[in-house]
Amino acid sequence: MKKKGKSSAKSYIGVCFAIPAVIYMMVFVGYPMIQNLILSLKNVNVYTFALPENQNFVGLSNYIELFTGGNSILLKSIFNTLIFTIGSIFFQFIIGFGLALLFSKQFPGCSFFRGVTMISWLLPVTVAGLLFKFMFASSGGIINQFLMGLNIIKQPMEWLLEPVSAMMASIVANIWIGIPFNMMLLITGLTTIPADVYESSKLDGANKFQTLFKITIPMIKPAIMSVLTLGFVYTFKVFDLVWVMTKGGPVNSTELVSTYAYRLSFEEFQFSKGAASANVLFLILLMVGVFYIKLINEEEEVI
Amino acid sequence: MKKKSLLTTALAVLMASTMLAGCGGGSGSTGQETSATAAANEDTDNGDAKDTVAAGGKKEVVIWDYFETDAQKEMMETLIRDFNASQDEYVASHVYVPFTDYEKQLTLGIASGELPDLVILDGCSMASFIALGLFGDISDVDIKWDEYLEGPMESTMMDGKHYGIPFATNCTALYYNKDLFDAAGVDYPDENTTWEQFREMAKTLTKDGVYGFGNAATNTDEGTFQCLQWIYTAGGSYTDIVSGADALTLMQEMIAEGSWTKEVVNWTQSDVNNNFIAGNLAMQQNGPWQIAGIEANAPDLSYGVTVLPKFDENSSRATSILGGENMGVVKKDDMNGATAFLQYYDQTEVMVKAMKTYGSFPPKTAAAQDSYWTDDPIQKAFIQQLETSIPRGPSPSWPSYSAAIQQGIQETMTSAKTPQQAAEDTQKAVDAIQ
Repeated sequence: MKKKGKSSAKSYIGVCFAIPAVIYMMVFVGYPMIQNLILSLKNVNVYTFALPENQNFVGLSNYIELFTGGNSILLKSIFNTLIFTIGSIFFQFIIGFGLALLFSKQFPGCSFFRGVTMISWLLPVTVAGLLFKFMFASSGGIINQFLMGLNIIKQPMEWLLEPVSAMMASIVANIWIGIPFNMMLLITGLTTIPADVYESSKLDGANKFQTLFKITIPMIKPAIMSVLTLGFVYTFKVFDLVWVMTKGGPVNSTELVSTYAYRLSFEEFQFSKGAASANVLFLILLMVGVFYIKLINEEEEVI
Repeated sequence: MKKKSLLTTALAVLMASTMLAGCGGGSGSTGQETSATAAANEDTDNGDAKDTVAAGGKKEVVIWDYFETDAQKEMMETLIRDFNASQDEYVASHVYVPFTDYEKQLTLGIASGELPDLVILDGCSMASFIALGLFGDISDVDIKWDEYLEGPMESTMMDGKHYGIPFATNCTALYYNKDLFDAAGVDYPDENTTWEQFREMAKTLTKDGVYGFGNAATNTDEGTFQCLQWIYTAGGSYTDIVSGADALTLMQEMIAEGSWTKEVVNWTQSDVNNNFIAGNLAMQQNGPWQIAGIEANAPDLSYGVTVLPKFDENSSRATSILGGENMGVVKKDDMNGATAFLQYYDQTEVMVKAMKTYGSFPPKTAAAQDSYWTDDPIQKAFIQQLETSIPRGPSPSWPSYSAAIQQGIQETMTSAKTPQQAAEDTQKAVDAIQ
């Protein structure tokens, strides 16, 4: 990769290979992004949408209005999104890693069960959201029935009605959806570890914990970093799950940047503000993306 | 080389998940289904922007609606069949678009041009879509404008111009379960019931898993529709929350007492009605469109309906919020087909026939005086309540007002803020809307 442009013919072919990707990116990614950026700097709302002559550039005032004020829902939703993302990834990763270790062993029915675990990831997110909404319902929800049956709680819990538990319930649903993604990538990572490394560590008398922390984890570090950064990006822009389960409520306690941007654009017709908050989401993800690309490049340099 | 394969897998997973996400997002728009009322229009797309000429040289009129119940669908099918039979110039058909996606589809339609000729939509969102440029000015069309009820008519207009006509009108009133009242030895509520008496009733009736009262207070305009009337009845309005702060106090205190169930913050109007049918609620706030469902699912339920409780002895009848749909004519070069349909619906007898099936009231003063409604004690209560009902807004910024008000109500109901604090904060949010 580091040997650049050995001959001009070779680099010419390289450019040819890149052209379709560049065109694709420009049409399907670049154009909407630039349009969105322009929209966020204008004052397009319900009053000016039909009157292009009244659509003026207003600089950063949409961003300023969204970020300022004691009741800034955007700041709250960024905070909520961070909680949602970190809470989800932490558990998704640990459970996914545990399952990956389990399924990298050979046992009867291994591939069958590994396939079954994928169901939560193959299910459309809206369906999963509805399932969890029913499960967490105050009256008649299976989680309350279960906990009451075990005498852990006496009164039904109002899972989706209290700000903190509504956030917890959304995170639980998202963890369930995300586990297979973590598991699959980590299993792929585990298969890259040569068996002889384990053999020699066994000969040297390493116990299970030493094997895990001194061999397995360091050797799949690139896979772990990919899982975490990709997981961050996916979780940060989750929309449908929360929209179905709570619509951002109660009282904005589960409002994410994505649901807020949708609400602004399609419910309140504040198109420019909606675009501005979508750009805020994009900027945060861009930073994570740059980090991810750097990581990939480092990996390739190792090769 | 193995690291490469890791990267490949990562990319493959990424691509697959993007596709999945795409499916999830798109499922709403594929939910549209054309209901071919006329045999001739099977070959046409739903909501085609062009004036399609159907077989036999008739011009097409495409109508979008979000009607879901059997009664609503039957009403629409009959109305369209009768219209098609009444003249030979146009062929009407309708397209169902799910309510949750409705306004998004309309907004996207304005941008893409994929629009029908006529749109049936919630009265409170009409002002926004007039401002967004969806509807055309039809003030010159021969329609008996002055026969309509003032509130619904106002919601179809802007700056003195007409963009459509009201289709159906309704409001919410107070349903009560007679058996539960009899068992508790409590007198039924009536038009003289005050908030204080209502609160006592609800308190007495709350026992053995039954809540005294419930309404819809979900985090959408459906919640605002039901909750805003309490603020008006207390003396406030959608721009003056502070004067209606007593309503927030009543909500918080009744929820604390357990007589107004806290679950309402996640309840839609159907949820409220289901709980009323199941006997979990002694009283509910709901609209006339639930009557058909109650009679079908719980024919033995003994219930009554009266106007909503008034503020105190000295105040007049409680205000309710107008609900119902409008028909708006989509702005096009040729709007004749759409206006022909409006003129057809403008006939009082057509309107009355449709509304009997639909479970709402015709938006004309005279039409609502049909004996079908005035002779029925339950329907009569709604007609009475309708007299003191006001529209939401009308304002193109209604969705922003609605979101701000409903946030204040949810903050009150979940005790996140004191009623005074919630009223002041909501007032600030409302004042900030342009």
